[in-house]
Amino acid sequence: MILQLKRIDWTLFILLILLLTVGIFAIYSASTQKVGNDFFSEDFYLRQIVWIIISLVIMLAVLRLPLSLIDLAVVPSYIISLILLLLVLFLPEIKGSHRWIQFSPFNIQPSEIAKLSTLLVLAKVLAKPNLREDQILARAFAIALPPFLLILMEPDLGTALTIMMITFSLLTISDLPLYYLILLVSPILSIVMSFFSIPLFIGYILLLTFVLFKSRLSLLIIGLAGIFNTFIFFFTPMIWNSLKDYQQNRILSFIDPSRDPFGAGYQIIQSKIAIGSGRIMGKGFLLGTQKNLNFLPEHHTDFIFSVIGEETGFLGCIIVMFLFLLLFIRIAKIITKLKQKEFRYTATGILAFLSFQTFVNIGMTLGIVPTTGIPLPFISYGGSNLLINVTAISLILKFLSERSIFK
Amino acid sequence: MFSRLRIYYSSIIILTAIFIILLTILFKLQIIEGTEYTLIAEKNYVRIKTVLPLRGEIYDCRYRPIAVNKSSFNLYITLGLVKNREKLIDFIEANFASESSEIDKLLHRNRFRLHQEILLIQNVSYEKMVEISEQMNDYPSLVFKPESMRSYLYNNHFLGYVGKISENEHLQMQNRGYSINSIIGKTGLEKFYEPILKGENGYEVVQVDASGRSLEFFRHNLTKSPVDGSNLILSLDNELQQYIQSIFPEDKNGAVVIMDVRDGGIMAYVSMPEYDPNLFVGTLSSATWNELINNERNPMLDRVIHGSYPPGSVYKPVIASLGLEDSLITAQTKLADCTGGLQIGDRFFKCWFEDGHGSLSVTDAMKYSCDVFFYDLSLLISLERMKEYTRSNHLTVKTGVDLIGERNGFFPDESWYRSNFGKYVGIIGPKVNLAIGQGEILVTPLQICAYYAALANGGKWIRPHLLGKTINSKGTLLFESESKPLPISKSTSDLLDNALYVAVNEKYGTGVASSIKNFRVCGKTGSSENHMGEDTHAWFSGYASWEEPEIAFVVFLENAGHGGSVAAPLARKILLFYNQIRST
Repeated sequence: MILQLKRIDWTLFILLILLLTVGIFAIYSASTQKVGNDFFSEDFYLRQIVWIIISLVIMLAVLRLPLSLIDLAVVPSYIISLILLLLVLFLPEIKGSHRWIQFSPFNIQPSEIAKLSTLLVLAKVLAKPNLREDQILARAFAIALPPFLLILMEPDLGTALTIMMITFSLLTISDLPLYYLILLVSPILSIVMSFFSIPLFIGYILLLTFVLFKSRLSLLIIGLAGIFNTFIFFFTPMIWNSLKDYQQNRILSFIDPSRDPFGAGYQIIQSKIAIGSGRIMGKGFLLGTQKNLNFLPEHHTDFIFSVIGEETGFLGCIIVMFLFLLLFIRIAKIITKLKQKEFRYTATGILAFLSFQTFVNIGMTLGIVPTTGIPLPFISYGGSNLLINVTAISLILKFLSERSIFK
Repeated sequence: MFSRLRIYYSSIIILTAIFIILLTILFKLQIIEGTEYTLIAEKNYVRIKTVLPLRGEIYDCRYRPIAVNKSSFNLYITLGLVKNREKLIDFIEANFASESSEIDKLLHRNRFRLHQEILLIQNVSYEKMVEISEQMNDYPSLVFKPESMRSYLYNNHFLGYVGKISENEHLQMQNRGYSINSIIGKTGLEKFYEPILKGENGYEVVQVDASGRSLEFFRHNLTKSPVDGSNLILSLDNELQQYIQSIFPEDKNGAVVIMDVRDGGIMAYVSMPEYDPNLFVGTLSSATWNELINNERNPMLDRVIHGSYPPGSVYKPVIASLGLEDSLITAQTKLADCTGGLQIGDRFFKCWFEDGHGSLSVTDAMKYSCDVFFYDLSLLISLERMKEYTRSNHLTVKTGVDLIGERNGFFPDESWYRSNFGKYVGIIGPKVNLAIGQGEILVTPLQICAYYAALANGGKWIRPHLLGKTINSKGTLLFESESKPLPISKSTSDLLDNALYVAVNEKYGTGVASSIKNFRVCGKTGSSENHMGEDTHAWFSGYASWEEPEIAFVVFLENAGHGGSVAAPLARKILLFYNQIRST
C-alpha cells in the first residue's frame, strides 16, 4: 500500500474532490458557446483537469514524504517566493498588471506561492514557546510585510489582502492579547466607516471603547484610541475630496485594476443579471445565456460563480456553498485534534485564507464586495491558485496522519 | 488566550454567519428579484456602447497638417448572425478585393466573439456602398458604420502608421480601453505617442427595449463623453522636408536629417526611398506587401535610425578629440609623414590621397581628411578606450529619439574579434581601420547628426526629438528636451570647430563644395567602404551658424561615391533653401 488508508481524513478529501469536480463542469460550461444547436468549447476545462492531476500528485508526494523534509523546505520556499515576487515586477505587464511569469504554455503566479510560504513561516515562528508580546508583533510583521508590499505593487490587492488576513488570523490565536489586534484594525475600520454615516460611526466608537475597557486598558490609551479614530473618520473624506479626479481614479483603479471608469459597475451588473436570472432551478447546464453573449467578463476565472448561479439557480448555489461550509467546518474540527502548536497555526491560517477567498469571491459576484480579482478556491480556472490550495489541504491531511507519531 | 475548542466554535459561528448572509443575498437576487432579472437577461435591455474619441492629428512646426482624420465607412460583421458562411466569404471577396483565406482566418480567430461586431473592412468607398446596398439585405450579419480613419498627407518614415490591433496587443491593452476592433499605432510616432494620440473612450447606455425599466432598476449614471486625443505639433518643418525629398537623387538610397542645435528638435527627417504609409491603413493586400518587402531598394527601411553604416571620415573628429582630451597630442603635434599611406608592421595602410599629405597637425589632418594622421594616432589608443569614448559621445548607442525600434549601431571589442576571427587574430589592424571610421563600426545617420549638433554647441549633446508640443482641449504641453555634456573640453571643441570650418571654407578642404558666403558652414565629409556595393557610402555632416549655431545636418547616400563630391553639394542646396525659409 502506498498510503495507510485509515490515517487519511476521507471526509475532507471527498469534499475536496467534489469541489474540484464542480469546478471542471463549471469551467467547461463557462468556456462553451451555444450557437444554434451546436456547442463550441475552448479547452480551459482540459487544462484544469491536467492541473488537478498535477496537484493530486503533489498531494500524494506531501503525504508520502517525511514531515521533516517538508519542514526543511519552508524557509527556502519563502525566500524563493520573495525573489519571484521581485522578479515579476520587472517583467512585462500581462492584462495590465505584473502578476504572472510567462512560462509557456502556462503562467506562474508568484503571489500564490508567497501566500502559502508566508503562512508556513509565520506559523513556524509564532508557534515558538515563550514569546513576548512585542516579539510576536515584530516577527509577524517582519515576515508578512515584504510579500504584502511586493504583491501590492503588482498590483494585486486581492492576494495582498489575503496575506493580511492570514497574518491577522494567526495573531488572533497566538498568545497576543486581543486588544492589540483591535487597536491595529480600528483605524482601517474608521477609514471604511467614513464613507458611510455618522450614527454608524458613533456606534462603532462606543463598541470600540467598551471592548478596550473590558480588556482592562488604561483610560489614557482608550481615550487616545478614541480621539485618533474620530480624527481619521473626519479627515478621510476631507482628504479624499481634496484629491483631483484623476487622483481619486488612480486610487480606485488601484483597488480594482480591471476597472475602467465604467467597466466595474458594468461587470457587477452583468454578474447580478446572470445570477438573478437563474432563479430557483437555473437555466440548465450549458444553457446560460449571459455568458453566451460575452457579457460576463472573466467568466471561467473570477466570475465562475455567476455561471454556476445562472445555470444551476438557487439550489445549485446552496449546494456549492454548503460544500464549502462543510469543508471549512471539517478543517476547523481537524484543528482541534492537532496537538502540535505549529500544525494548528498552519491549519488555522489555511482555513482563514480559503474561507476569506471563498466569501470575498462570492460576495463580489453578488455585488456586495468590490471586485479585487480573487478567484474562487478549487473552482475558478487557474493553475497556480489550484496547485497552492490543494497543497494547503494536503498539508492538513498530512498533519492529521502524523499526529500519532508526534504526540 | 484561546483554547482549541473556543477557536473551533468561534470559527464555526463566524463561517455560518457569513454563509447565511450570502444565502440571504442570493435569495433576494434569485427568488425575490429573479423574475425581474430574467426579463432583463432575456430582453437584454442594457447595452453599453463605446463612443470612440477622435485620434489626435499631427502637424508640422507651422501647424501645417501631416496626418489627419478623414471620414470613412467601415464594414462590421456579427458572427452570430452569419447564415451561409461560404456565400458570405464569396460576397466579401468579390466586392472588397480581400482574400478568402484572410477572411477565413479572421472569422476563425473571432469564433468565440459571436455577438460582437468585428471590424472587417475599413474605408469602403461611398460608390461601393451604394452599389451593393441592395445585396446587403441578404447578409444581416454585415453592417456599415460611418467612422473616421487615418490619412497621411505625405510619404515619410517618421510618422509610422496605424493598423488594426493584433490579438497579442489586444491581450496586453484591453484594460486600457482597447477593443478587438481598435485601431492602434503600429510604428513610428503613431506608436511612440499612442497613449497621447488615442484619447479616452466614452460610453453610452443604449436601450434595446423602450420601457426604460432597466435604467430604473440600476439607477447608475453611466454616460461619459469621450476625450479626444491630443494633437502633436512637431519640430519638423514640412516645407524643408518636402524640398529635401524632391532634390534627393531619385536613383539613390539614403538619409538626411536636419536638427535644430538649440533644442534638439528635428526639422527634417528624410529616408529615401520613402513609402506611402496610407498603404497600411485599412487592408493591405499581400501583393502590395510582397512588393514592398521584396523591393531591392528596401523602401520600408528607415535609414535614419534603423539603418547603421560605417561612418568613414565623419567619425574622425571623435578620434581627434580623444587624442586631445587624453593629452596624446596637442594642437601643434605633427604625426607620421603621409606618403600616400603608412607602413604598420607588415601591412601598408593606404591614405585616400595617393600622393601623400606629408606630416600634419590635427587641424590640417581634419581639413584634408588625411587618414595617416589618424592611423598613427590610433596606435596610441587602446581599442577599449576607443570604444568607451565613442559610446560616451553617444555614437553606437541609441540616441533615445521619440521613435520606435532605433538601432544601437555597433562598435567591436577584443572579445568580439576573438570570437569571430579566432583566438589569435591581431587587434592592431582592425583598430587602425576603426580610427578612420572604417571596418566593423556602425552608426546611424541620426547619431552622427546629434554628435555634430553637440560639436556646434561646444560639447552640449541634446537628445534629438520630433515632438515640439502637444495640444488638447485642456491646453498646450511643451516638449522638454534633455541635454548632457560630452567629454569634450572647451579648448578641444574650439579646435574642432575651427577644423570643421577650414575643411569647408579653405582651399583644398574636403567639404568646399558646401561653402556658402552669407553664413558660416562647418562640416566633415566621409566616404566609407562597405560590403553593400563597390562605390563608397557618401557622408557629409556638420552645422551652420548665422549669429550663432542654428542647425546641424547629416546627408548620407548609400553607395553613391565620395562625400565631398556627392553629399556636400546636396547639403549646400539644402542649406541655401533653409537660409531662404528661415527668415520668413
